[in-house]
Amino acid sequence: MKKLSALLSAVLLLTLSAWAQDPIVLKGNELFGAISARQIGPALMSGRITDIAGHPTNNRVIYVGTAGGGVWKSSDGGLFFTSIFDDYNQSIGCIAIDPNKPDNVIWVGTGETWTRNSVSYGDGLYKSTDGGSNWKKMGFENSDRISSIVINPNNSDEVYVGVLGALWGDSNERGVYKTTDGGATWERLLAGTNNTGCSDLVMDPKDPNTLYASFWEFRRTAYSFSSGGANSALYKSTDGGKNWVKIHKGFPAGPYGRIAFTLAPSNPSIQYAVVEAKEDKGLYRSDDAGASWTKLNGDFGLTVRPFYFSRIVVDPRNPDVVYKGGLYGSVSLDGGKTFKNMGAMHADIHDIWIDLNDSDRLYVGTDGGVYRSYNAGTTLEMVGNLPVSQFYHVSLDNEEPYNVYGGLQDNGSWYGPSSSPSGIEARDWSSVGAGDGFRVLRHPTKKIIYSEMQGAENIWRFDIERNQTKVVKPFPTKGEPKYRFNWNAPIELSPNQPDRLYVGSQFLMRSNDMGDNWEKISPDLTTNDPAKQMQANSGGISVDNSGAENHCTIFTIAESPLDENVIWVGTDDGNVQLTQNGGKTWTNVVANIPELPKNTWCYHIEASNFDKGIAYAVFDGHTRNDMKPYAYKTTDFGKTWTSIITPDVHGFARNIQEDYVNQDLLFLGTELGLFVTIDGGKNWSKFTNNMPAASVHYLALHPKTNDLVVATHGRGIIIIDDISPLRQINQEVLQKEVHFFKSPTFVMSEQSSFGGTSTETQYVGPNPNPNAKIVYYLKKRHTFGAMSMEVVDSEGNKVSVLDPGKQKGINIVTWSYITRMPKTAKGKTFAFGGFAAPRVPAGSYKVVMKKGKETFEHPIEVSYDPQSLIPVESRKLQQEMVQKLFDMTESLAYTVHEVDALIDYANAALAKDPKSAKTINAFLKEINTLKEGLVITTGDNYVGSAEPQLREKISNLYSVVVSNYDKPSNTQYENYEELETRYNKALADLGKIKTKHWKNIEKVAAAQQLTAFSLESKEDFLKQ
Amino acid sequence: MKKIVLLLSLVATGLFAQAQTVEEILNTYFENVGGKEKLSTLNATQMTAKVNVQGMELPVEIVNTKDGKSLMKFQFQGKELVQQAFDGETAWAHNMMTMVAEKSDAETTENMKREAGSFPDPFLNYQEKGFKVELMGKEDMEGTPCFKVKLTKKPLMVDGQEQENVVYYFFDAENYVPLVAETMITSGPMKGKISQQIFSDYQEVDGLYFPFSLSFQLKGESGGQSLKVESVMLNPEIDDSIFAFKE
Repeated sequence: MKKLSALLSAVLLLTLSAWAQDPIVLKGNELFGAISARQIGPALMSGRITDIAGHPTNNRVIYVGTAGGGVWKSSDGGLFFTSIFDDYNQSIGCIAIDPNKPDNVIWVGTGETWTRNSVSYGDGLYKSTDGGSNWKKMGFENSDRISSIVINPNNSDEVYVGVLGALWGDSNERGVYKTTDGGATWERLLAGTNNTGCSDLVMDPKDPNTLYASFWEFRRTAYSFSSGGANSALYKSTDGGKNWVKIHKGFPAGPYGRIAFTLAPSNPSIQYAVVEAKEDKGLYRSDDAGASWTKLNGDFGLTVRPFYFSRIVVDPRNPDVVYKGGLYGSVSLDGGKTFKNMGAMHADIHDIWIDLNDSDRLYVGTDGGVYRSYNAGTTLEMVGNLPVSQFYHVSLDNEEPYNVYGGLQDNGSWYGPSSSPSGIEARDWSSVGAGDGFRVLRHPTKKIIYSEMQGAENIWRFDIERNQTKVVKPFPTKGEPKYRFNWNAPIELSPNQPDRLYVGSQFLMRSNDMGDNWEKISPDLTTNDPAKQMQANSGGISVDNSGAENHCTIFTIAESPLDENVIWVGTDDGNVQLTQNGGKTWTNVVANIPELPKNTWCYHIEASNFDKGIAYAVFDGHTRNDMKPYAYKTTDFGKTWTSIITPDVHGFARNIQEDYVNQDLLFLGTELGLFVTIDGGKNWSKFTNNMPAASVHYLALHPKTNDLVVATHGRGIIIIDDISPLRQINQEVLQKEVHFFKSPTFVMSEQSSFGGTSTETQYVGPNPNPNAKIVYYLKKRHTFGAMSMEVVDSEGNKVSVLDPGKQKGINIVTWSYITRMPKTAKGKTFAFGGFAAPRVPAGSYKVVMKKGKETFEHPIEVSYDPQSLIPVESRKLQQEMVQKLFDMTESLAYTVHEVDALIDYANAALAKDPKSAKTINAFLKEINTLKEGLVITTGDNYVGSAEPQLREKISNLYSVVVSNYDKPSNTQYENYEELETRYNKALADLGKIKTKHWKNIEKVAAAQQLTAFSLESKEDFLKQ
Repeated sequence: MKKIVLLLSLVATGLFAQAQTVEEILNTYFENVGGKEKLSTLNATQMTAKVNVQGMELPVEIVNTKDGKSLMKFQFQGKELVQQAFDGETAWAHNMMTMVAEKSDAETTENMKREAGSFPDPFLNYQEKGFKVELMGKEDMEGTPCFKVKLTKKPLMVDGQEQENVVYYFFDAENYVPLVAETMITSGPMKGKISQQIFSDYQEVDGLYFPFSLSFQLKGESGGQSLKVESVMLNPEIDDSIFAFKE
């Protein structure tokens, strides 16, 4: 037994010591602690809305599903929306509200079904039983996209789900499914095929056993789209989904493409279907519950782009009022015979929800957000607080504050500031491009912006100062083939030559004069596979040649910041090309990359800042139905590559950003969020602090502010301010109980905060915190015992008291450079000027943190705003005057305290000895008169305010001088002298009154055995 | 050798806590903060604290009683201002402009009545109060693994409609004290945002542990407000008139 225990303790010891020596690996929250993201929007152009669902009995409650921004809920009839799905897949197919428990049970099917080229993918079905606060996955992990959820209005446990399925490849999960136990188990009632899934599933509201399901055969590749085939069909079941029959009587000849279906809620026998077909496509109506169909209308508005617009909505009260999604949205008031366009709003209408009580009130989901109408869609207004904008790209400039540039899906190109007085408002953003926007670049030294639209149809050079544009796109010269540009064509700057601009078609083009003239510096760098260049025939039953399927093109270009002759190019058909001589010769190095499937889209190449042989390449296989992340590093110009992906990373990757200081600090954007490594890719952590699981398309790191700027395709621009603490984390730091991170010199900004022109319902992006950031690491969360933090000056005097953060990992405490407010005399009302506190002068300070019995110290430096023109001597004069007024405020507070104490004492004596009224009242009269000149003794804090007295006058002057940075003016000095004279006179008067009366009062008090008058010292009074 | 394996597995079970029920979590919590019995003897608490506003530490006093009365007052420039008071029937506060007491609106008053029963601890005898608790699972909070417990109190009125009153408590999985409580803001433009109350600096007062630091913030957003507790008096003598609305 002894042996056993010895062995056991040895084993234990071994394990324990192994733990002690093991490196600490922090993941997720532990690592990032208080580092939090800032969602700056914008919401002014918003983004694509995929589905709208309204509460069946409470018209204040509306849910909105988006293409890449999750689910948003409004509880006030669509004035404000809040995100309720941040932690989950942000691509939404459909939302359904349980009619039996509409306040609580909400279902969300992920995976958008408007299957354009840039669409994201879903990861299953979710259910909330508390109105959207908490969500639980209910299966269909590999469904890719869910088109419909219908719930039996008499039984919450009975739910049907339509699975459209994978867009980019085969899938056997498609079809109609049913649960009878609230989602715990599912049975498939009607299967699709490998490429045919359920695109609409509708239940007869009067008979839950009658169901209609449209099935759609479809497939997308990087270079083609196909809608339609022999398997597209419309089915009906009258026995709860056990048996299904096709209901095509009166339909045109097949094959069909996408069939949109709906029925009139007020009369379920009246049904509408929009059928995609080669001939006689259009709107069909049935008045006999699908038994037969009659074509009513084949207008453009109804038949345009069925894959994108297949939603029909019938007014809940009137079966003849029909809305159809489309380029502009269409409405019929005569049962589908004729249609007119809906009112002006953003193009591309995907869904319409009509108020349950009032058909005039409706909500429309577009490619540019949600619109509200109060006259049945004739005129509309946009919801201004849905920041679901879909960026493709982001870049930054060197202005202060820096600007953010980027192009958006169907919403042009924009730039806006990273901070703005009163927050980043809609008005702060400027448009610099039309159509679909992609890459937007600011010239490194000039006020010039480059932007583009889809397929490089235009590449603009925009002169900011003159508001002039010039189209600078290159054209093929004699004998050259047609240029093939990607939908999201790469334009790129040189980090070495400010006027240089690159554009990639199948060739790499270079301009050294800002796009005025071009030279071709490469052969065709793609595979030039003719089978992947048939985009003109794309679309299937309806041709859809938008340029979105252009393939065999260059997609990413990176000139080394260390050598302008080293240029990397990645292509959408999977080549990685390198030149080391400025384009004279090129080498395709993709074959050197291990375990990368052939022809995987090279989405981004990052040329390192540390060595010209180092580069990172990110590949995206999703268009081949491969959702795995791929990211590699080379250190030898592409001869060898190492994967830097671990199982921590979820979603296919699109972009990587290398830090400028710490080579091991990398940021990776994937389809499901942002990931960070601090050890060169050995471990990754998902960043989730105020960062939703949105698709990250591009990353940029600001070299001066160290802000990481994230372009999301559905949640706008998200900024993580100052990532520099992450650079400093190493094992030595992590093993310490407390570690303060090195901070830069803090600058006290003198910027005005005037601004704020937004209306209440417009989104305003938050500014970065302008204060000093004291950043430290705690090995363990502080929960028991006291913990405090102070700032002290170089002489050890306490300057400010701060509230320390206590979480495990990184804590950030901000300090606004102010000390404390003066103690102000007590009056009837407030002296509002007394609520201001002086700023500290520039210089060295120390943060002192006490944690239990231990004390930790950290030096910091504070400087004045270098942009300010105020000389140091002026600041000194300001500080001196602030101190004088601060002291005068506190002295007066003590004087008034004394006066009040004297009055109280005299009153107490009077109460004891009413006979002494004459003596005491004489005193009270004089001293009260004195007090009335010291502080306000009547009125209120608003328009009932009394005339200001000495306290208010001091406080007014103090508040002005303290809020300024410059030296006081002559009138301020003179005003001060006047106040000082008045205060000294008051003190003298108080002395006189006391000399004249106080002995008499003390006599009365003594006779009545009152305790002798006493007053705490000024020092003690000010400490209270 | 088998024995060693067995023993090691026993050690391992000790190290990795088994699945917990919500009752076990609450019981350990109560034990760790001084016990249910001791908590049950509380009729009232009076707390003095400081709020850090722009570097100025403003004195605050908070009084709560078992029968649902409450008072929270601040001192500004020597003047006392009641931020919220409730005598069981009438909720009121001082108007900042006139510094005169004004009655709170009907819904606020109604909700203060409905919130009765949270003193001294909403989890104490929660069943008798008609509250419900549910373990939602484990989640990291403050960089620390926590048990997420959903507490459903009596419904509140929000903009004229009755709504569930849910608070999520995050109990430290190591020491079982709450680190964070989360509620969703139910009205106004901030609606839907999560408000967090963060507890730390637990210290003992006459055998009971109280958090001496309370921070309030919006989840994921910087800036917030901290309350630094300076003293807690258990069962103080209270003149009920302090809670009453005076014209």
